[in-house]
Amino acid sequence: MTDSIIHTEKLCKRFAGPKKEVVEAVRDLDLDVAKGEIFGLLGPNGAGKTTTMRMLCTLLSPSGGKATITGFDLARQPHEIRRHIGYVGQKGGMEHVASGRENLMLQAQLYRMSKDEARRRSNELIERLKLTAFADRKTETYSGGQRRIFDLASGVIHSPQLLFLDEPSTGLDPQSRARVWEEAKVLHEQGTTVFLTTHYLEEADALCDRVAIVDQGRIAAIGSPAELKKQIAGDIITLGYEDETRAKAAFQLLEGQRVILEKHDLGTSLQLYVDRGDEALPEILRIVGQGNYPAKSVSLTRPSLDDVFLKLTGRSLRGDGGQS
Amino acid sequence: MRDAYLIAMNELRVTIRNPFWAVSSLFQPIIYLLLFGPLLNGVAASRGLPGGDNAVQFFAPGLLVMNALFAAGFEGFTLRDKLDSGFIERLRVTPISRLALTMGFILQSAINLIIQSIALIVCGAFFGLHFDIGGSILLVLLIVLIGITMSSISFRLALIIREGGILAGIVNTFVLPAMILSGIMLPISFGPPIIQFIAKFDPFLYAVDASRALINGAIGDPSVWMAFAIFIALSVITLGVFIRGMREAVA
Ligand SMILES: Nc1ncnc2c1ncn2[C@@H]1O[C@H](COP(=O)(O)OP(=O)(O)O)[C@@H](O)[C@H]1O
Ligand SMILES: [Mg+2]
Repeated sequence: MTDSIIHTEKLCKRFAGPKKEVVEAVRDLDLDVAKGEIFGLLGPNGAGKTTTMRMLCTLLSPSGGKATITGFDLARQPHEIRRHIGYVGQKGGMEHVASGRENLMLQAQLYRMSKDEARRRSNELIERLKLTAFADRKTETYSGGQRRIFDLASGVIHSPQLLFLDEPSTGLDPQSRARVWEEAKVLHEQGTTVFLTTHYLEEADALCDRVAIVDQGRIAAIGSPAELKKQIAGDIITLGYEDETRAKAAFQLLEGQRVILEKHDLGTSLQLYVDRGDEALPEILRIVGQGNYPAKSVSLTRPSLDDVFLKLTGRSLRGDGGQS
Repeated sequence: MRDAYLIAMNELRVTIRNPFWAVSSLFQPIIYLLLFGPLLNGVAASRGLPGGDNAVQFFAPGLLVMNALFAAGFEGFTLRDKLDSGFIERLRVTPISRLALTMGFILQSAINLIIQSIALIVCGAFFGLHFDIGGSILLVLLIVLIGITMSSISFRLALIIREGGILAGIVNTFVLPAMILSGIMLPISFGPPIIQFIAKFDPFLYAVDASRALINGAIGDPSVWMAFAIFIALSVITLGVFIRGMREAVA
């Protein structure tokens, strides 16, 4: 692809683990992100999202493979890349003992703006993002949401073509999250490409044009949220049970039923993929009822990205293990 | 270089306006001069001190070296903090070069020391310190070299050690004996031969001797060129190690 702003081929990163074992944080990543997209990496903790982003931002050198960012080679031209990208890390990176405004001023001047230009640009962002009330307080006194918006401001101070956001809304209250999303959308409308990581399905769903679902360093699926959800035809029936033994017994009862396209045992609940939920539900309830394992609770839902993840990896995104 | 300057000025501004900075950099030396000075005067009266019987003249130059040892030796903490907060990472994605980033921190530490050293000399004057202007300028230069050495080591350690407490322990383990053996507090000639022998391997011994010579304007004293030779070499080596560490650890 020629109009890709991010292009990677077999990019990988290996770390030495605590016991000298090799941790394959990112494996053979092939990715193309088009100009102007909001692209999301969605995956659980430890999937390799941050590692991927840090490689693309020139912060970490890959163990193998190659990448082109904003038209420059990652291995040979990191300096050119840095001029065209903005990065907001998971931890933000404000200097605690300086004010938000001072942080912005420094950032602007490091992007080669003159002092006057830097002041003008900082003021402009502070006003537009409504940060005036606390811009001159030390950032260590900020709330998580206030700091996050300042992080964003410092990431876009030089109007980069490509903005990287690592877990932009993790740990934020709903209002702050909404503001971060709103700002990402504004940037998107102005033509900025946004590359973000998240483990929130809602975020990927609401914000991203395309999503790559990553698990254990690999891309499991890639596409628009709608396309990904379409991979799961039909509806999902969830049966809840008092304990795992009863759930398992019911799982066995449903073995070989043709209305069920796919089923997952999630511990105390069973997840069943069916073509038409309204028709399949009475039939399924009849089977478990007759087998003396009636469900304690029943729900019928449309597939979410979590279900896509579950289908691809056999694990749930929300829980930390297999149970949800 | 503009970048290094920007980083240094930014760091310096936030350091200096911290009230703790003024307290720790001026209050402590004054306490030393106020409380330890008279004690040392007693020693001067009974045993005599090298370079005259004025305790302040003996002690104040050493105090400058001591300040450099501790102030620069603990610089690593600020770096650790900035590594943890993601501040360094944020700077590393901007177009600023790795070298400028590194030099910014060193420059900040050096300017900080110059300000503190001048304040200390002025302070000492109130306690009866006589200082030669030319010698004192050279002395501040020597202090800067010591500062570069110490802060480079401290910064380098901070890149490896993630735990603040462990970092403090390591720095203290080295700084304390180095300080005592340098004869800052009491002349090494008071000690037994074995201590005198070990002290010969303490580079700060030469720095303290040189600082006493310089404050009196004895620029030609052999200790002066010895100290400069040692600390030019040490600062070049440690700075090189730190720059390389910065390249690798946060490439
Ligand atoms: N510097 C490092 N050294 C060793 N292992 C690391 C390092 N950074 C990340 N890892 C490992 O790589 C894997 C992916 O981590 P990360 O990219 O942070 O995941 P995510 O951002 O998706 O939560 C994890 O198993 C993590 O422990
Ligand atoms: Mg992460």
